[in-house]
Amino acid sequence: MTIPRPYALLAEITYRCPLHCPYCSNPITVRNGNLKGGTPVTPGKMGSQELAPPCHAELSTDEWKRVIREAADLGILQIGFSGGEPLARRDLPDLIRAAREASLYTNLITSGIGLDDDRLYALRDAGLDSVQLSFQSDNTDLADEIAGTRAHQRKLDAAAKIRAAGIPLSLNFVIHRRNIDRLAQMIALAEFLQAERVELANVQFYGWAFLNRAALLPTREQVVRAREIATAAKARLAGKIDIFYVLPDYYETRPKPCLNGWGQRYLTVNPIGEVLPCPTASSAIPDLHFENVRARELDWIWRESESFNRFRGTEWMPEPCRSCPQREIDFGGCRCQAALLTGNAANTDPVCTLSPNRARVDAVLRDLNSSPPKAFGGDWTYRMNPKSAATLQ
Amino acid sequence: MQTPTIASSAQPTLTRGVRLQTDSKTGNSVLLFPEGVLELNETAHEILSRCDGRTVSEIIQALAEEYNVDLEMLATDVRETLADLQRRKLIELAELT
Repeated sequence: MTIPRPYALLAEITYRCPLHCPYCSNPITVRNGNLKGGTPVTPGKMGSQELAPPCHAELSTDEWKRVIREAADLGILQIGFSGGEPLARRDLPDLIRAAREASLYTNLITSGIGLDDDRLYALRDAGLDSVQLSFQSDNTDLADEIAGTRAHQRKLDAAAKIRAAGIPLSLNFVIHRRNIDRLAQMIALAEFLQAERVELANVQFYGWAFLNRAALLPTREQVVRAREIATAAKARLAGKIDIFYVLPDYYETRPKPCLNGWGQRYLTVNPIGEVLPCPTASSAIPDLHFENVRARELDWIWRESESFNRFRGTEWMPEPCRSCPQREIDFGGCRCQAALLTGNAANTDPVCTLSPNRARVDAVLRDLNSSPPKAFGGDWTYRMNPKSAATLQ
Repeated sequence: MQTPTIASSAQPTLTRGVRLQTDSKTGNSVLLFPEGVLELNETAHEILSRCDGRTVSEIIQALAEEYNVDLEMLATDVRETLADLQRRKLIELAELT
C-alpha cells in the first residue's frame, strides 16, 4: 500500500476550556488511567515526592515546536490550533511563529474568550493566517445557556477585534435541536460581523455530544427546514460569504467520507502528545493504541504505526463496503461512529442504509420523531475540564 | 466555451488570507487558505506569480513575451483561469482607478 502524504495537522494544544458546551468533541475522560486524581507532576517538579513520569502533562513549547517541524517535513501544509481553548496556553504566539517558519498555513480555532487586543496583535505579528471563531447561537441568552457560561458578548467583541486587525474570520456554529430553528438568524449574525466564511455544522455524535445525544438530536422536521434555509442562504450570499452546511448524518442514507479516508490526509496531536488519525478516536475506539510524539517521530507514526494503518485503504473493509462501488468515495464512513454504535470500529458506518446495523440509527430517529419533545429544555450534561495532569503545562 | 468577461484593466490580487507558496514535497505551487489547499497547474502558477499589481492585459503581455504561443489562446486561458479563481474567492479583481 502506498502511504499518502498528509495535508493538515490538528494541534489540540490543551483540553482546558472556559466553556462547557454539551457537544464538545473532546474525550469525556482522558485515557491513560493515571490522569484521574493523584498528584499531578510536571516536568519542572520531577524529583519531588512521587515520581510519576511527565508524559501525562501537556506538551511543552519545545515539544510542540518539534512536532510542528516534523509535520512540515512530512508534507503538512496546514495547521489548526485547537483544544480545548488554545488561548489558554500563553505560548500560542510562539507556536504560531514556529508554524509560519515551517511555512504552514495557520488557523486558530477559538471560543474568543481571552482574546484581548494585546494577545490578538501578538498572534497577528507571529503570522496568524486565519481565525475560526465559535458561536453557540445568535441569541445571547441561548448562547450563554449552551456554553454554560456568559460568553456570547465576549465573542461579539472578539469578532470585532479580529475584523479590525484585518485577519480573515470564519464563524463556526455547531447546530443541534436547541439552536437549529435559529439558522437564519445565525447566518444574519455572520453577515453582520462580516465573516468571510461560516460553518453551520450539525452536531456529530462523539465525546460529550454522544453522551448528550438525546438532548441534541434535531427532529426530522427541523432538519428539513434548516436545509432549505441553508440552501437559500448559500445562493443569496454566493461570492460574499462561503457557507458550509454540514448535515446531521443520522438523517442521511450514505455515510460521510470521514477524514477523506483514515490516515489519508489528516492527523491530530492531542495535548499529551498522542497522535490520532481522528480527534475523536481516542474515546470512541478503546482498543486502538496511539503512539506518542514523546517516544516516536511523526513520520514513523504516520507511515508505520498500527493505529494509522488499521483502517487505511480498503483492505480492512468488511461487506457490504468491500464490494461497494462507493468504497473509494465514502471510505465506509466513520470508524468512530461504527465503534460507538455497533461496538466494532471495522463495521460499515451504521448511517449507511446498506449497513446491517442501520436499524440502530433508525431506532434512535424513531424514538425522537414519534414523540418529539414539546419543550426543548437543556436536559444535558455540561462538559467539564478533565481533572488531570493533562490540564497542566 | 465563452471567454469570461474580465476587464483588461482589472488588477488581480490574492484575496486576504490566501497564500501562494511552493509545496516543498512536490516543488509545485499551491494556494493555501482557511481549511483548504489548491494545487496549481502550470498555467495558474505562471499567472498568479505575476499578480503583483499588474493588470490583466499586462499579465497577458508578459506571458506572451515569455512563451511562444498564440496570443488569443493565451488571453482566453488567462481569463478562464482568473475567472475560476475569482469564483472560488481566491483572488479579487480590482478595477484600475
